[in-house]
Amino acid sequence: MVTAIASTANGRRSPYPGWFFLPAAIVYGVFFLMPTFASFYFSLTRWSLFEASFIGLENFIQFFREPFLVKGLVNTVLYAAVTSGMKVVIGLLLALMLTSQIMGRGLLRALVFFPVLVSTIGVGITFTVLMHPTKGAINEGLSLLGIAGPGWLTDPSLALFSVALVDVWKGVGLATVIYIAGIVAIPKDYYEAARIDGGTKFQNFLYITLPLSRPATATVITLSFIGGLRTFDLIWAMTKGGPGFASDTIASVIYKQYQSGFFGLSTAGNVVLFILIAVLVVPITAVLNRREGHQ
Amino acid sequence: MRSRASLLGGAIALLVSLVVFVVPFAFIVLMAFKDRRQANLLDFSWPNGVHLWDNLVTVVTTRNWMLVTAFINSTILTVVSVTLLVLLGAMVGFVLSRRKTRWNPLAEFLILSGLMIPPAVVPTIWLLQGLQLFGTLSGMILIEVAYNLPFTIILYRAFIATIPRDLDEAAIIDGGRPMDIFFKVILPLLWPVTVTNIVVQSVGIFNDFTNPLYYLPGNANATVQLTLYNFQSQFNTAYNLLFTNIALITIPPLIVFLFFNRQIVAGMTAGAVKG
Amino acid sequence: MASLSLSSVRKNYGALPVIKGVDLSIEHGEFVVFVGPSGCGKSTLLRMIAGLEEITSGKLLIGSKLCNDMEPRDRGIAMVFQSYALYPHLSVYDNVGFGLKLAKTPKDVRDRKIREAARVLKMEHLLDRKPGQLSGGQRQRVAIGRAIVRQPEVFLFDEPLSNLDAALRVDMRMEIAKLHKELGATMIYVTHDQVEAMTLADKIVVLDGGVVQQVGAPIELYQRPANLFVAGFIGSPKMNFTPVRVDAVNGNRVAVSGEDVINLTVEADPSNVSPGDTMTLGVRPHDLAPNQAGSIVARVGLVERLGNETIVSLELVSGTNWLVVLDGDRPLARGETLALGADPAKAILFDAAGKSVTRRS
Repeated sequence: MVTAIASTANGRRSPYPGWFFLPAAIVYGVFFLMPTFASFYFSLTRWSLFEASFIGLENFIQFFREPFLVKGLVNTVLYAAVTSGMKVVIGLLLALMLTSQIMGRGLLRALVFFPVLVSTIGVGITFTVLMHPTKGAINEGLSLLGIAGPGWLTDPSLALFSVALVDVWKGVGLATVIYIAGIVAIPKDYYEAARIDGGTKFQNFLYITLPLSRPATATVITLSFIGGLRTFDLIWAMTKGGPGFASDTIASVIYKQYQSGFFGLSTAGNVVLFILIAVLVVPITAVLNRREGHQ
Repeated sequence: MRSRASLLGGAIALLVSLVVFVVPFAFIVLMAFKDRRQANLLDFSWPNGVHLWDNLVTVVTTRNWMLVTAFINSTILTVVSVTLLVLLGAMVGFVLSRRKTRWNPLAEFLILSGLMIPPAVVPTIWLLQGLQLFGTLSGMILIEVAYNLPFTIILYRAFIATIPRDLDEAAIIDGGRPMDIFFKVILPLLWPVTVTNIVVQSVGIFNDFTNPLYYLPGNANATVQLTLYNFQSQFNTAYNLLFTNIALITIPPLIVFLFFNRQIVAGMTAGAVKG
Repeated sequence: MASLSLSSVRKNYGALPVIKGVDLSIEHGEFVVFVGPSGCGKSTLLRMIAGLEEITSGKLLIGSKLCNDMEPRDRGIAMVFQSYALYPHLSVYDNVGFGLKLAKTPKDVRDRKIREAARVLKMEHLLDRKPGQLSGGQRQRVAIGRAIVRQPEVFLFDEPLSNLDAALRVDMRMEIAKLHKELGATMIYVTHDQVEAMTLADKIVVLDGGVVQQVGAPIELYQRPANLFVAGFIGSPKMNFTPVRVDAVNGNRVAVSGEDVINLTVEADPSNVSPGDTMTLGVRPHDLAPNQAGSIVARVGLVERLGNETIVSLELVSGTNWLVVLDGDRPLARGETLALGADPAKAILFDAAGKSVTRRS
C-alpha cells in the first residue's frame, strides 16, 4: 500500500492521497491479515504459544478421523443450510405480509426486526429456559394443546435443530427487511400490467414478486450462510455443543480445543472453516450473481 | 367468502407472529419482576409482587459492582472503536471511490475477504501477546476496528460515489489541500451514512460476545455480554437475577432502535446488498 | 489581470489524444469563448488551464508564469462549474468565503470581500441560506460570487448557463457580460451554444476533434469562416451547402455552377481556384432572396411563418435540403417552385479539403 502514495507524472500531488489507505491498511493488515496468514503455518504444528513443532498435516488428519470433530464439520454445514433456508422462506413470507395492507404493519415490522439488535447471549439464555424439557414455557404451551413436547435441547438428535430455530427467530428480521426493500423496489407497473392481463394474486407472486426479488434472495442466502457457518455465540449460550458433541460446530470446536490448550488443532479448525467457507460460499455467490446478471 | 377466508388467514398469521416475537421479550420482563423462588419455576406466569428493584440492586452490586465496570468497559470499547471506524473507513472509502489505481482490485478483494473469512483466533492471541495487547482494552479496540472495517468501507464507498466530483474540484480551485477537501467538504456531507455506520457498528460491537471472550479475558475487563456468561453459573439458581441482567443489557440497543430504526434498517440492507 | 498563452499544448488519455496541439494567446481583460460540439475538447482544455487536468506536453503561461506543474490554487484562477458545485452543507456566506477561509484571510477582510461580492451580484439577502433553498439562477450567482472573492487574474466558466431555462439564460448572459465590463478581468468561457459565444465573446475559439478550427472575433467567424466546420457551426439556422464546379476565374470573381446552381458568381481568392475544380458552395439562409433571374431553383417544403420573418425549407434539384429566411410574412404554398438569388458578396466557396477560398477584408 505504501507505493500507492502516487504522485502524478509531473510531480503534482493527487487530491486523493494514497496515504489515506495507510491507517486502515495497518490495522487491518496487522490484526486481521497477519493472523490469517500465520494460521496456515500454525495449523501444521503442535503449538503451545511459545513453541511450535512442525507436524505436517496431522491436525487435519485428526479433524477428519475423530468422530466428534467430523460431527462438528457436518453440523456446521447442516446448521448453515437449515438456517439460511428457513430465513429465505420465512423472511419472504413475513415480507409479503408486511408489505400488504394489514393492521399494525409498522409495529409488526419493528417487532420482527428488533431481535436482530438484541444480545445473542441474552436470546440464547432466554430460549434455553423457554425450551426446558419439563418446566419450559414452550412445552407447557404444547401440553395445553395436548402435545407432549420433545426435549428440545436435551435430545441429541434435536439439539442442533433447536438452536437453528432460535437463530432463525433472531435473524429472520434482517432477511425480512432485505426482502421488504427488494419488494418495495419492484415497479408498480408490473402489477398493473398483470392486473390488466387478469393475473391472480398467486400468479403475481409467482411471476413477478419471486423472480424480481432474486437479488434479495441472493443477499439473504449469502449473508445467512456465511453467518451460519461461523456461528459460535448462540450455540455456546444454549448447549455448549452438547449433549455430548451433538450440537458442536467448527466454531465451538475451535473454542474447546483452545480452552484445552490444543492450539495447533484449534488453528487447524480455523483453516478448515476458512476452506469450508471458500469452497461453499464462493460458488454459491457466483451462481446467484450470474443468474442475477441475466435478467 | 374468499375474502373473509383470506382475512381470517391474515389475522391468524398476524397473531402467530405477534406471539412468536413478543412472548420471549415478555418472558424476560416478567422474570425480572419475580422473586427467586418463583423465577426458578421457569414458567410463563404473572409475578407475585414486584421484586424488580431488589433484583436490580443485587445484579448491579454483585461481585464488586462488576456490571458497572462492564458497562464502562463496553462503552469505552464501543465509542473508541466506532470513532476509529468512522474516520478510517471514510478515508478509505473516499480514495477508493475517487481514484482508480492498480491497488483498487486488491483493496476490493481484501474488503470482501474481510466480510467472509473467520478470524484466526489463536494466532491473533499469539500476536496480541507479542504486542503486549492481549487482555487490554486497546487491543480489543484495534481488533474490533480491524474486523468491522470492511463493512464500514462498503457503506461509505457506496455513498461517496453519489457525491459529485465537482465539489472536490471546486474545493481544489478554492485552494483546498487534500486534508481540507476531505475534512471540510466530504466528511460533513457524509453525515447521513456516518449516522448509519455509528448506529449499526455500535450495536454490533456492544453486542459482541465472541471476540471479548477470546481477546479480553479477566473479570476486570469484562464487557456486558460477558457478564451474562460469568453470571450464568453463579445465578444458576437465581433466574430472576439472570433475566434482570438480560433486560438491563437489552436497554441500550432498545434505545438506539427507538431513535434510529430507519438508519439501522437502511444501513443493514444497503450494506447487505453491496456485500 | 493577466494574459495567458498556450503553445503546442497536448493532452492524451493513455494512448488516446484528446487535445492535439493547441496554440493560443489571450490578452489582458479579453473575453474568450471556447465553442464546439460535445467531445471537441473544449472543457478538457479549460480544465487544463485550471489545473484540474494534467498537461501532457506543451506550455501554459498565465501572466509570465509557467503553470504546467503549478497547483490550481497558485495559478490565480477561479472557476464556475456547470453544476455550480456549491457546498451543500455551507451557507451562501460560507460558500463564497470558503476559499478565503482556506487561505487564512483575516475575518474582517473576509467579511468585507464576501459582502462586496454579494453587493455586486445583488444577493445580499441570500447570504444566510443554504444552496438547497436557492433557485437555479441564484445558485449561479453564488457560484460566480465564489469566483469573484478570490480576485483571480483569470475567470474560467465551464458551460455555466446550460442548467438554466431559456429566459434565465438570457438574463444571466447579460449579467456576465456586465460583470466582465465592471471587473475588466480576463475570462475564458466554455459553451456549446453558439449564440452565447457570439453575444459574449471578444474572441471565439472554435474547437473540433481536439484541434482549433478558427480563432477570431464573432462577426469575423460569421462572415469569413475558415472552413466548412466553422461555417456550419456558427450561425443559426445553419449555412446551406451544395457541391459546385468552377467554370471560370476572372480576377477575384469566380463563376460556378452545379446540379443545384445555375451560373453563380462568387468572390474568391483566385490563387486557390482554377477552372474545373470541384468545390462546395455555402450560402447562409439569410443571404438568399426570391429573384426570378436567380441561379437557384427549388421546391418549397415546410413553411414556418413567424410574422417578422418566414423560414422556408427547400428541396433543391439534387434533393439537397436548404433553409431560407425571408423578411416579413411570406405566405408560400408547399410544393410551389421558387427561384432564389444568392448575394455574391456573402456566399462562400470551400475547396475539396473544406478550406475556405473566399477572402474578404
